Amino acid sequence: MSESSQPSPGILPHEEKLPPRLDLWIALVFFIAGVAILAVCLGMPTYREQQGEVYKAPGMVPGLYGCVIIALSLWLGTRAWRAGALDPAANPPRPPRVGYSNVRLALAAALCVAFAVGLVGRMPFWLAAAIFVLCFTALFEWQAGLPARERAKRLAAALAIGIGTGAAVSLVFERIFLVRLP
Amino acid sequence: MFDSLAQFGIAFAGFMNPGTIFNVLWATLLGIVIGALPGLTATMGVALMTTLTFTMPHQQAILVLVCIYVGAIYGGSRSAILLNIPGTPASACSTLDGFPLARQGLAGRAMGISTSGSWLGTLFGTLCVATLTPVLADLALSFQSYEFFWIAVFGIVIAGTLSGGDALKGYLAGFFGLWVSTIGQEPHYNFQRFAFGSNDLAGGIGLLPALVGAFGVAEVLQAMRAPAAKAVSSKIDSVIPRLSDVFQYWRTILRSGAIGTFIGILPGLGEDTAAWSSYAAARRGSKEKEKFGKGSIEGLMAAETGESACVPGAIIPVLTLAVPGSAPAAVLMAAMMIHDLNPGPMLMVQTPEFFYQIVAMLVIADMSKLFFGLTLVRPLLWILLVPRERLMPIVFVLCTVGAFAITSRIFDIYVMLFFGLIGFILRELKFPMAPMILGLVLGDLLENNLVRALVLSDGSIVPFFTRPMCSVLAAITIFSILWSVPAAQNRIRSVFRRLRPA
Repeated sequence: MSESSQPSPGILPHEEKLPPRLDLWIALVFFIAGVAILAVCLGMPTYREQQGEVYKAPGMVPGLYGCVIIALSLWLGTRAWRAGALDPAANPPRPPRVGYSNVRLALAAALCVAFAVGLVGRMPFWLAAAIFVLCFTALFEWQAGLPARERAKRLAAALAIGIGTGAAVSLVFERIFLVRLP
Repeated sequence: MFDSLAQFGIAFAGFMNPGTIFNVLWATLLGIVIGALPGLTATMGVALMTTLTFTMPHQQAILVLVCIYVGAIYGGSRSAILLNIPGTPASACSTLDGFPLARQGLAGRAMGISTSGSWLGTLFGTLCVATLTPVLADLALSFQSYEFFWIAVFGIVIAGTLSGGDALKGYLAGFFGLWVSTIGQEPHYNFQRFAFGSNDLAGGIGLLPALVGAFGVAEVLQAMRAPAAKAVSSKIDSVIPRLSDVFQYWRTILRSGAIGTFIGILPGLGEDTAAWSSYAAARRGSKEKEKFGKGSIEGLMAAETGESACVPGAIIPVLTLAVPGSAPAAVLMAAMMIHDLNPGPMLMVQTPEFFYQIVAMLVIADMSKLFFGLTLVRPLLWILLVPRERLMPIVFVLCTVGAFAITSRIFDIYVMLFFGLIGFILRELKFPMAPMILGLVLGDLLENNLVRALVLSDGSIVPFFTRPMCSVLAAITIFSILWSVPAAQNRIRSVFRRLRPA
């Protein structure tokens, strides 16, 4: 299912190299984040007027992290620049990964956000879960040109999985594990 | 010695009742299923079950989590052998020889090797937990804030350096995790850091919702984006492990067990690194190098033993230093904290019985894994064929329940969503996740000990470098950072080459 968990022999998914230009952008984002963290920390009180110790100042440790993030982002940026981040020849367009779909990704993300933000807390959890699972399964299993009978079968299966999930989650977690549901 | 054995016997006997055995069986089975299903990982399984078992008594809850962890790491090899898809990243190495064996009609034998290697690996690691933990805990009792500060920094740096890929991105992920851990009220003046007026942010970022997001939600998104896997049917012969395989490769088993446990002890590396390192070492030392990658029994045995020995290994630093050895161990540590078990050097002083219980839990989980390994083959094949379109929405519903369960805050569901997105983006940009998790987990340890040490030394940083253990940890940390700079690495190599006698 997940291609991400199928690395080439000897290579873990995060071990593949990215084009230097992308690394330069990543460095820029982290640099801005580091500067923002440092700026917020510098604005935090030090409590010196209350004879507080400077090492206990609320902004000291996160400020230190901000400085380290700035330093690391500069290191990453310099490395990317030296690797030819500004040279078009060193940054050929990446070939699309076969079988990967950003449409599927966007649809999955939208459905998840709609469930977590739009449904949860506004109706009984079992119903929210059932609606979400039904919509998710039905939309991803939808195929143009399927015979009506097959489509009805898939919808019925999605409905059964949705209601089954809602009922099972409520029963198992609320009654057996005594966990509060949203 | 005899006192320790008696304590272990008491702990073991304490678990021998029908209710506990029932919990062991379902939790191990669930762990194997989670591990076997591509897209679901051990970390996610442990994170989800942490939130769902927190109303249980602490021994039962931790036992369930240990069973899930042990089962999931083993379960990943099932899909690796039968489908050529690693169920968890840890079992990616098992596809190299497991799947070729299955294609040769030896799927049953491959699963037998996987079962025996995994069982022996966990047993070896558990023996190390039983023997090394008291020694390390004694040593850790002499540590002060200076040493704990360095242990936290060492953890982040070593996880970044050794977890594969770009070390620099590992450090960035680690410090990002450390920064996230500072969000919310700080301990000295109750000042709300990075809350921007939000009461929810002032309460801090919950570790478990963040972990459920980074591992659960991110994996749902990745699975839905990737192409669907095609199942490859394999004929299954006998799955009963052959004793001859175990005796023939006893050196490989011992070597892989030792490597797996050692990598487990190092902060944040985890089972995938253990499997690859054990595999590489077995290949170097093998008389049948040419068979590796084409269905080598020795290769599969090494990978399985290494990754399974890493599980108990990763628990050793949790019990002694409150530093997790892998991502699932980080969640296990969080679960111990939720149950007021105070992992770290004081654990052996305050609740020594819990140490013996952990050893007993690992043995019980290992035996349960062996039982399912011998019996559960065909039902698991059916589960492996569940389409992701039906599985992933259920996983997301469970993630939502898991994120909400501990504090009953809707805000935690938003935290889960946010970290799901961050986790997905960081993975796409080739950031290793282990350092970020370590940063989140070790944030409090690092901050508290840094501040305490500076107050004790009146602002002097000299003790951070002159105390014996500090100087060792500082040297290793600085060496690790230098090692990730190519120019410095070349210089170090040339120095070593010059020092080597001709």
